[in-house]
Amino acid sequence: MEERRYRSASGAPIALRRRQHSASCRELAVRCPRLQLRSLSATTSAVWLAAYGLFVLSENSMVLSAAIFITLIGLIIYLHFVKIDQESLLVIGSLGIQVTSCYASGKESTAFIEMGRVKDVVINEAIHMQKVIYYLCILLQDPGDPQGVSEVVPLFQSSKPRLDCLIEVYKSCQEILEQRKTAPQSS
Amino acid sequence: ENSPSPLPERAIYGFALFLGSWFGFMLYLVWAYVPETWLFSLGLTYWPQKYWAVALPAYLLVAIGIGYILLFGINMMSTAPLNSTHNVTDNYAKKQQQKKFQEEAIPALRDIPISEVNRMFFLPET
Repeated sequence: MEERRYRSASGAPIALRRRQHSASCRELAVRCPRLQLRSLSATTSAVWLAAYGLFVLSENSMVLSAAIFITLIGLIIYLHFVKIDQESLLVIGSLGIQVTSCYASGKESTAFIEMGRVKDVVINEAIHMQKVIYYLCILLQDPGDPQGVSEVVPLFQSSKPRLDCLIEVYKSCQEILEQRKTAPQSS
Repeated sequence: ENSPSPLPERAIYGFALFLGSWFGFMLYLVWAYVPETWLFSLGLTYWPQKYWAVALPAYLLVAIGIGYILLFGINMMSTAPLNSTHNVTDNYAKKQQQKKFQEEAIPALRDIPISEVNRMFFLPET
């Protein structure tokens, strides 16, 4: 098990952790930076200053309580639905690939893709929000059409690692996926 | 046949456009500044309201400003999302025919599948 530091596409520090559970099972987890205290206090102060300005203009004290409420609810929603702590990829040769996202509030959402549907794991370049970024994605195939790509599942969407980190993940995944070709087909 | 060099016809078109645009500008100034009563006394009673002499330039400038934002937005909307297959392949690549490999000849131009490209770039086999 090893952990290395990299940078995300926007410059934030991220960490990649690789664990080899067995010869055909690997787990790769990318940990995003935690919620910064300075950005949290900056946002809260901005919202409360704006609410105080509205209170001074309108003389209505409900504005202040509404601002406190909005800040609390907004923080809870952000931590539970938006802020991702860790994204991990569990590749089990001959079984499938599991993608997990852990949110800052502790929520975990997973998706499992069986190996029969996985065509390949590739690094693709695409235009995203006025930038060209590299991103890792799983190419899915139709069981009836092994040559065509039916769906693309992008990975590590919120941590957005840079190419050096993606190459490490790509090499690890390819080592497991290559075993598919040499192993005898069961279906 | 299609060269960008100056020709007598092009000079005439240019001069006609020059005269026409000056005439249009003078007409616009007359419409905007000459009082309505003077225009009526000349018999020009059915010209548009002078309101439009101010409104049309305003509409035009706002339209140009929104046009910048609209173009930006349309471009962003037509960019394929990260999970679409258009980032990986398209109809031409799916339907291309494989040309037979000939010895001593440059290989035919074709769209290489992304798996192969990735292997070449990121898995060094030295």
